[in-house]
Amino acid sequence: MRRAYKNDAGISVRYQKVKKDHIRLRLGIFLALAMLLLLGALFARQLCPYDPNLQDYSNALQPPSLAHPFGTDRFGRDMLSRVIMGGQVSIFSTLILVAVITVFGTGVGVVCGYAGGLTDGVIMRICDVCLAFPGLVFALAVAALLGGGIQNAVIALAVVSWPKYARIARSQTLTLKNSDFIYASRLAGCRGWQIILRHILPNILGQIVVTAVLDMGTMMMELAGLSFLGLGAMPPTAEWGSMMSSGRSMIQTYPWVVITPGIGIFVSVAVFNLLGDTFRDYLDKKIA
Amino acid sequence: MRIKKMTSCFMAACLIAAVLTGCAGTQAGEASGEASGTGESYAAKSDGTGKTLVFGDTTFNPENEEPDINPHNAYSGWACIRYGVGETLFRYSDTMEIEPWLASGYEQPDDRTWVITLKDDIYFSSGRKMDGAAVKECLEHLIQSHDRARTDLMIQEITADGQTVTITTTEPVPAFLNYLSDPYGCIIDMDAGISDEGIVAGTGPYTASALVSGERLELVKNENYWNGEPKLDGITVLTVTDGDTLTMALQSGEIDVAYGMPYANYPLFENEDYTFTSCATSRTFFLWMNFESPVISDPAVREAIAMGIDKDGFVNTLLGGNGYAAAGPFPDSFSFGGSQVMAKGYDPQEAQEVLEGAGWIDSDGDGIREKDGTRLSIRWLTYPSRQELPLLAESAQATLGQIGIEVIVNSTADHNSIRTDTDQWDVYASAMVTAPTGDPEYFFTTCCLDSSMVNNGHYHNDTLEALAAELSQTFDTKARSDLAVQMQQILLDDDAYVFCSHLQMSMVSKAQVTGLTAHPCDFYEITADLDIN
Repeated sequence: MRRAYKNDAGISVRYQKVKKDHIRLRLGIFLALAMLLLLGALFARQLCPYDPNLQDYSNALQPPSLAHPFGTDRFGRDMLSRVIMGGQVSIFSTLILVAVITVFGTGVGVVCGYAGGLTDGVIMRICDVCLAFPGLVFALAVAALLGGGIQNAVIALAVVSWPKYARIARSQTLTLKNSDFIYASRLAGCRGWQIILRHILPNILGQIVVTAVLDMGTMMMELAGLSFLGLGAMPPTAEWGSMMSSGRSMIQTYPWVVITPGIGIFVSVAVFNLLGDTFRDYLDKKIA
Repeated sequence: MRIKKMTSCFMAACLIAAVLTGCAGTQAGEASGEASGTGESYAAKSDGTGKTLVFGDTTFNPENEEPDINPHNAYSGWACIRYGVGETLFRYSDTMEIEPWLASGYEQPDDRTWVITLKDDIYFSSGRKMDGAAVKECLEHLIQSHDRARTDLMIQEITADGQTVTITTTEPVPAFLNYLSDPYGCIIDMDAGISDEGIVAGTGPYTASALVSGERLELVKNENYWNGEPKLDGITVLTVTDGDTLTMALQSGEIDVAYGMPYANYPLFENEDYTFTSCATSRTFFLWMNFESPVISDPAVREAIAMGIDKDGFVNTLLGGNGYAAAGPFPDSFSFGGSQVMAKGYDPQEAQEVLEGAGWIDSDGDGIREKDGTRLSIRWLTYPSRQELPLLAESAQATLGQIGIEVIVNSTADHNSIRTDTDQWDVYASAMVTAPTGDPEYFFTTCCLDSSMVNNGHYHNDTLEALAAELSQTFDTKARSDLAVQMQQILLDDDAYVFCSHLQMSMVSKAQVTGLTAHPCDFYEITADLDIN
């Protein structure tokens, strides 16, 4: 029995190691893909084979060909160039949005969790109010109030999305606040902000980063959704959601006008979601 | 991990099952000739209950100010006349001339008096005879409850005697018969009243039996119709606000006729299974200049904009040929429209020279011109509910950009409130039926004069005001046309408005549908001739 147990344990350890390597490999692949997307967005202007806003009516609605691999839209603009430029707008807007809500939400959440009392009560009730509305509907209302434009769409989504991070950061902080090592650092004379910066933040960062990466996909979809409804990017800015919206009546007749930006959204959302998932698995294993 | 995989497999299986179920449903629906999924069949059928047809329309809804079919309410008269419930005393011919309809003729003893003789033997669907007293009651209720009608018609007094109605106006109204032919002029039986749903009893070939605002209207044959027997026993008018949904409804056979389909979907129906009926209308896409704007008040900028819009490209490529490049506000089908006026054509080279001559130079090399530190940037206000308008904006953005004018587009549903604030826009692009009554006066009084309610760009021209005053007193049709041509030319010479295109209206129907003909005024759709085989 004892021998068998040893063997099981051995297999289990080996299995764990193989699995961890597997996760590491996946993490590497998805990180590389995400980097590729980011680099593509960064150097979009250089990657575009044509001027994305150059109209050429004689070339309108051309199907995909060697000259125009993604075809052209009804203005005769090259769809590949527009999808690439659209990627820049969509990915960078999403990055900015996620960065803002992560930093702000986490900051607020940690302070609330650590300080407690009235501050915590007031801010958390504000969070409750924000969370009580359906996210996208609330964002629609805010975007409609602010008017069109991708900046306003980002602001609208930021307004409705930060409470989630505040909640997560607060609950994690509350758990950590009563740990022995926090008591110890307090005894050692650390101030509140020092404890937050040195001890609390590093310990909750993993969870926050995983949430942020997973949110990249969601936020990208929501930004595209607002643009699709006409509350995001304004013409002639190429943005995946607005490109799909302007071409939606052509889904049966000139499908490439809708499908190509759709592929852009699908690939980016899938990459960021898989990256977030794998990152979570990786951290879980690391902690285990 | 295993659970995750199993969940993924389960989800994928569900998705595939859903897709297959959807396909199977469609096939079953097609096979039985019934629409699947809704639990209700709208498809045309010829069975024991009679011959019926389903008419899909994108415009029949409260957002479009057509909540019901009561002609005395907002623009609901359009629905009343389009769907064959109501008829007017006079109507427009195919060349937009006035001809009698419920009336048999008229006399005009003086400038302010109209004696209209009504046809005998016309009955409302309620059973009441349409006589002078009925018309008097209807018109009196109209001017009490409808602001636009009251302002247009300027009725002082109505007297009725048998089949004769005598109407006196407070001032001479040369276009009086044209205004009476507006959809608000549908003659309805006020004794039968207006139901809570907005159903009225008219003289048309069909009678409304049920109405759910913004959703559907049920029509049944008017057995007492005076002008031939309606060929269908019943019609359902379905409101399908989204153009793509409308397209799919026609493809699936859920509807038999579609009004308001996006041009991009026309190729799907250009085959022997479907029929198109098309007509040039006076719905015009045009730009309003804001004369309070520091940039637009420069005549050179307005002239450059007029020469910087590629009207032919817009019509041929972006509208897919479903329109006509415009010179003035009225299309060629009007005696005072089309090539009667001279408009500036698309000439980017000339436009650049005009701007340079006026001192607008691109001094910093960013492609946009400046003058005295002011950047040549215009705020282009438009709205998305007319799908062609954002296309026009993007097209102008590119062509005006080439001549050094930056265009910042604001395409918003809130345009009607924004346009009243002259600080918020420079150019306003809109679509409007410029001659709904077949007469030119309406456009000028609505848009271009000091007294116009929607002259939001504050355009003013003394000569135009004088000619408008003359037009309002002129009864002779030829003289009115001549005046209208002169007035249009003033607008074009001032570059106060830039007329881009006239819309071609099309209805798409199944090939079995007959008797459906598009009309230039866009009012007459469902008639007694409409049939399905």
